[in-house]
Amino acid sequence: MGEILTPRERFGLLVIDEKPDRCNILPLVTSHAAHVAGVKLKEYYTDGETMARAQIVAYEEYGHDAISIFSEVGIIAEAMGSDFDYPDEDLPILKTPALIKQKIDDIKIPNPRRDGRLPVYLEAIDYAYQAIGDKVPILAYIPAPFTTGMMLSDAHQFLIQTIREPDKIHKIMKKSLDAAIQSCYGIIDAGGLPILVDPLASSSVISPKAYRDFALPYEQALIDFLHRYDFDVILHICGETEPILGLILESGADLISLDRVELSLAIQRLSKKLRIIGNFDTSAIAFSSSRDIKDKVIKMVKQGITSEKGYIAATGCEVPIRAPFENVKTFIKAAKEVAWYWE
Amino acid sequence: MFKELSPKKISMSEWSEQFKEIDTKTIKKFTYYNNKDWGVYLSPPATFMVYGVRELKRLKFDNSLASLRLWGFVFNESERLFRAKQSGKKIVATLGDLGTIPTIVMAFPDCIPFYPECIWWTPFFNESTVLLDTASELGTPEAACFSRATLAAFYKKAYFPKPDILFASSGASCDDYSCIMQLVEDLGYSPIWLEIPYRRRSRSYFTTDEYERTLSGLEYPKRFEHYLTNEYKKVWKEMAELTGIHDLELLRTSIKKVNRLRMLVEKIKELGNEAERAPFPALEMMVIEFGNLYGYADLDEWLDILEMVYQTIRGRVQHKVGVLSADAIPIAWVTPSAEPYLLNLVEDMGCRVVETEYVIHQALVEIEEDIDPFHALARSFLNASLIGSTEERVSRIRDKVHAGKIAGVLITNMLGCSHCAMETRLIEQKLNTVPVLSIDVPAPFAVTEQIKSRIAAFVETMKWAKS
Repeated sequence: MGEILTPRERFGLLVIDEKPDRCNILPLVTSHAAHVAGVKLKEYYTDGETMARAQIVAYEEYGHDAISIFSEVGIIAEAMGSDFDYPDEDLPILKTPALIKQKIDDIKIPNPRRDGRLPVYLEAIDYAYQAIGDKVPILAYIPAPFTTGMMLSDAHQFLIQTIREPDKIHKIMKKSLDAAIQSCYGIIDAGGLPILVDPLASSSVISPKAYRDFALPYEQALIDFLHRYDFDVILHICGETEPILGLILESGADLISLDRVELSLAIQRLSKKLRIIGNFDTSAIAFSSSRDIKDKVIKMVKQGITSEKGYIAATGCEVPIRAPFENVKTFIKAAKEVAWYWE
Repeated sequence: MFKELSPKKISMSEWSEQFKEIDTKTIKKFTYYNNKDWGVYLSPPATFMVYGVRELKRLKFDNSLASLRLWGFVFNESERLFRAKQSGKKIVATLGDLGTIPTIVMAFPDCIPFYPECIWWTPFFNESTVLLDTASELGTPEAACFSRATLAAFYKKAYFPKPDILFASSGASCDDYSCIMQLVEDLGYSPIWLEIPYRRRSRSYFTTDEYERTLSGLEYPKRFEHYLTNEYKKVWKEMAELTGIHDLELLRTSIKKVNRLRMLVEKIKELGNEAERAPFPALEMMVIEFGNLYGYADLDEWLDILEMVYQTIRGRVQHKVGVLSADAIPIAWVTPSAEPYLLNLVEDMGCRVVETEYVIHQALVEIEEDIDPFHALARSFLNASLIGSTEERVSRIRDKVHAGKIAGVLITNMLGCSHCAMETRLIEQKLNTVPVLSIDVPAPFAVTEQIKSRIAAFVETMKWAKS
């Protein structure tokens, strides 16, 4: 069957509980786009037009169903005062967390049009939206408060504080929430659909109890905020999530992007209420053979499209920066073989 | 609660700022089909922009809560139709008649009429040629008017759900749209075809005909009323078979409700057009006028929105405030523009729209309630703009020109639209006692400096004529 819908039309149907021609196919092509476009990583994450153009090149090369404006999860923390190093050929590396230098009360809520590299993101969203926004959704990844909170802090100390000084953590969370909301205002007005990413809240990093006490309430608040705009909210938590599947249901998200969990289990527990996104192993896309990728993708998608509320065939996390192009193409081609809802 | 500010036209970003002040309770208060789960629609323009309505980034909107409701409701229509179908309602496509068949459809409980051709605005709102390109691939000639987007929407099944039944009105109407409806049939849909008669007045030749007048005073051969009555009975029969309901009292009730809508819109237009300062922008007013066709797929909620609009406008008129300056030049607008931005632009360049002829006159007039309902519907439809002479079509505007209430006439000529090709020059001639400007509406996102210059020259000419 030929493609009937544009990615935007396809996504539009998904979020109103209609089955599109086929399921959306969305390997999380983020900084990998720089590799596809042949630009330096540093240029990708410090120049909005470069980021957008790289994303468009990747979209034209692969034909996936959305573009992803994103480089790394420190973007809000950086705008709040955390210092990063910017290697030419790697993503920014946290150098000095803001809370090492300042007290939480002294940290300002960033202005997305002015602070850190948030303007880079807005420029990228705006450029991509003007270029291809009629056909393709522009997804803009926004770190959820817990992840930002940890990027504001010394990670080790932050995790200890979740046990010993929970009030301090809540204070950081509240500020991170305000910062996320301010960032969302800018993203929305530029034309991006905010996707919440909370990788540091996964069970690979914190316990389900810590997730419930410190991450979930602020995910909920941010999702409530986005629901005021009638957005369908995607929550992405990569890493281990099986222990918190039940809690994720309470987040209020409309779509959940998962990584390390049995897809059948996620479908069984979540798909009556949430659309499922996932969850191809990203190390496999970097290192497996085409044959292996094809077989696994076909198996995954066949299972995924049984999800009651809808499904997006995706990688569990970002496509690794230097993943072979052929492997990503294989992923998409294989998914397109079996992703059809319409006869 | 949202505090109303001084009336003005504001950008999408300014609406986003204002939206921060609206509490969640207010947002949740307004729903379509009374559904609290998915029926909420009070979103700022930015929401719809993020979902692909790209022109919202450069359009300006009225800054009232009523306007926010209006836009949220209108931009939610596609979802509303899908939700209607999901919740077991019957979806009825009423192609081509523009104003009457929905009155019959709405008489049946849980039946939702809609006009697929209203999708002609989508390429412009989305600043996208996706639908137009697809229509071309499906065989519409490049020269067909923008309503060819309808064919692509039927093909893609992403803009409205598959209708349970289609009524397609052809005849004395747009022949390019008739062609598109035929192509829709070729896609595998099965429209029920209806014929629209031409409202001729050739007494000298057809000497045996009896003639009647509509409530608006338009003369027509009496047998056409009987003909249309039978066509509408055919619609009724099909709907009765679809639903298993046959209760003519429901039709009378539906007519009353539609009349309520039409009278309310008439009041809004009168109030707005006669006010010292324009109390509501032309773009919103066009949206209101087109709502008369079918209430944007939830007539009850649309009526409620219009009540709020009316109260807003009334308050502004009482306080002698408005969205345009007091010296804005009053013009009439003939033929609706598929490009919404033009309505913003013309106002920004100093004009104020005080009369319109958007080819839907039949949807604006009252339906008689004291005669047989099918005859009443036929008589109301016989007021249609496109089924009679150009002389009749422009008569209201000419009356206002003579009364000194209109300083100029703007015609938006739709490329490929058959009646525009034939009529625009005639209209120019018939209204030439004031400056008349006709502009070809260009493809999406293609309003040029040349068009802007022509509008500027039109404004200057009107100013000169006035002085």
